[in-house]
Amino acid sequence: MAEVWSGPLRKLDNWRWVIPREYKKGMLVEGIIYASERMTQSIRKDQAPEQVANVACLPGIVGRSMAMPDIHWGYGFPIGGVAATDIEAGGVISPGGVGFDINCGVRLIKTNLTEEEVKPHLEKLLPVLFRNIPSGVGSEGRISFSVSDLKKAMREGARFMIKRGFGFPEDEEYIEERGAMEGADPEVVSAKAMERGKGQLGTLGSGNHFLEIEVVERVFRPDIAEIFGLFSGQVLIMVHTGSRGFGHQVCTDALQTMQNAMNRYGIKVPDRQLACAPFQSPEGQEYFAAMACAANFAWANRQLITHWVRESFEEVFKKSARDLGIEVLYDVAHNIAKVEEHEVEGKKKKLCVHRKGATRAFGAKRPEVPGRYRSVGQPVLIPGDMGTGSYVLLGTELAMQETFGSTCHGAGRVMSRSEADRTSRGRNITEELKEKGVLVMAESKATLREEIPEAYKDVNDVVQVVEEAGISKRVVYARPLAVMKG
Amino acid sequence: MKPFEILDHTADVGLVAWGETLEALFANAAMGMFSLISELKNVECHTTVTVEVKGNDYEDLLVTWLNELLYLFEAEGYLLKCFEIEELGQYYLRARVSGEPVDQERHTIQRVVKACTYYEVKVEEVHPQLFRAQVYFDI
Repeated sequence: MAEVWSGPLRKLDNWRWVIPREYKKGMLVEGIIYASERMTQSIRKDQAPEQVANVACLPGIVGRSMAMPDIHWGYGFPIGGVAATDIEAGGVISPGGVGFDINCGVRLIKTNLTEEEVKPHLEKLLPVLFRNIPSGVGSEGRISFSVSDLKKAMREGARFMIKRGFGFPEDEEYIEERGAMEGADPEVVSAKAMERGKGQLGTLGSGNHFLEIEVVERVFRPDIAEIFGLFSGQVLIMVHTGSRGFGHQVCTDALQTMQNAMNRYGIKVPDRQLACAPFQSPEGQEYFAAMACAANFAWANRQLITHWVRESFEEVFKKSARDLGIEVLYDVAHNIAKVEEHEVEGKKKKLCVHRKGATRAFGAKRPEVPGRYRSVGQPVLIPGDMGTGSYVLLGTELAMQETFGSTCHGAGRVMSRSEADRTSRGRNITEELKEKGVLVMAESKATLREEIPEAYKDVNDVVQVVEEAGISKRVVYARPLAVMKG
Repeated sequence: MKPFEILDHTADVGLVAWGETLEALFANAAMGMFSLISELKNVECHTTVTVEVKGNDYEDLLVTWLNELLYLFEAEGYLLKCFEIEELGQYYLRARVSGEPVDQERHTIQRVVKACTYYEVKVEEVHPQLFRAQVYFDI
């Protein structure tokens, strides 16, 4: 088992715990963990807080090294970690602060259907989705893309798919970065990444990735829900996936480059997985351009999957996707580094904000938020574990001031995979979920067992912390009806 | 001596490998990684490729070596089981690795290993002629 962490966690208030700078030599800023008192017990069970302290050593870091309540032990950064560096003051970019699954993220798709209308068709709908959307280990995409197409997808992201007819023109408006990050340069991407990614565009993948059909069960803020186009009893579809093997290879390549670059720039970090280079250095720029390609690949991927979701609903409900009101609510990245402008000690600064298992949660008036939502703030999509349901939150002004507009990303694991495997041995997870009213289809039984609900923190607790701390607000809670896993 | 064992990690999976020589250590670490991906008993070593990697030190070399093998698995579809290290220095490794392409009829892929990370990576001589390596994988 992991070693228990016994460092200092100073209570700031009921939802904020500080790791002081004095804790570790090299910390340039203090660390902060958003959590309830009860959660701090489980957070101390592994080395995640140490990772918060390690991130505080990154050159150019400003504000605090932050961790959201879904924090858990990662490699390099903790999962749930947020760190911003000052680009103009030599601040670094760290591939380990993004992770291997670049732009792993969530898309939430609305329908105008209700639970009563969908439930009788679920047994038919789930296998249709399963057939139309490739999933599981080693799954291959249904469409083969040429190298030149792949490069276009890297530059244009979701738009590339929409132009090819895989989506509605307005979809792109409801995607973070409009589904295409600027600065993507396919020429810096290795041949290996291209090779690894080419068959995987338009696949869900495996592990914690999923597609879920859910129903809005509780509306916390009706005025905001109305602006988001959400209502009680409404059926939604959530897609959780990322840039697949393409992103994994981009990160692998960059980490290797950064190992060498660190010596050149005289950078020392407490963990090699935090390898980094100044954002403005050739190595930093090259990684950012490649990472943007992977981010756009992921948006293209979720776009293609959205198209197949529409086709599947059309097939089962014998109506057009337009008539069924199948629209994108929003699409967020939760493993990414972004260039954003934020206020630091009263001054506007250009920062490189790393979100590793954390979601952007911009408040009202930011130009990055789609026009339809700009008066209130952006929708934040928080998937729970398999079978527990998910939340739509709202970004807040306090998040802008305190967390560079960031919040949690999900439930967060508490159990290792082998522990989950032991706990679930001999159990029929599909049956258990069915009894709870959740239909499940999975490519692999092993994945189902590793992903059992007990392996995760309770998403309700996680969301309570960000609400009470004021860095996001609950809008709706949706209960799962059916889950498709890789 | 067990050639390798799996370490518990909340989100991911760790691996400890042992070897009487560095060559055996690197081979056992590779075997450990592929055992996470698939049950290897049905894998035959009838296709061989040569792998060359460079690194800044043994730890870097180990991570780079394992990531290179992962690439061969994911991009070329090879399940690898036999690892013959032909040359190994602090900065360079050359090996002949063998296995066969994934055959859905005979092989089950248990999980995706996204990458081998540098987190807490260790290559050490714990006793004379006993080497130990440790790595964590992103799963």
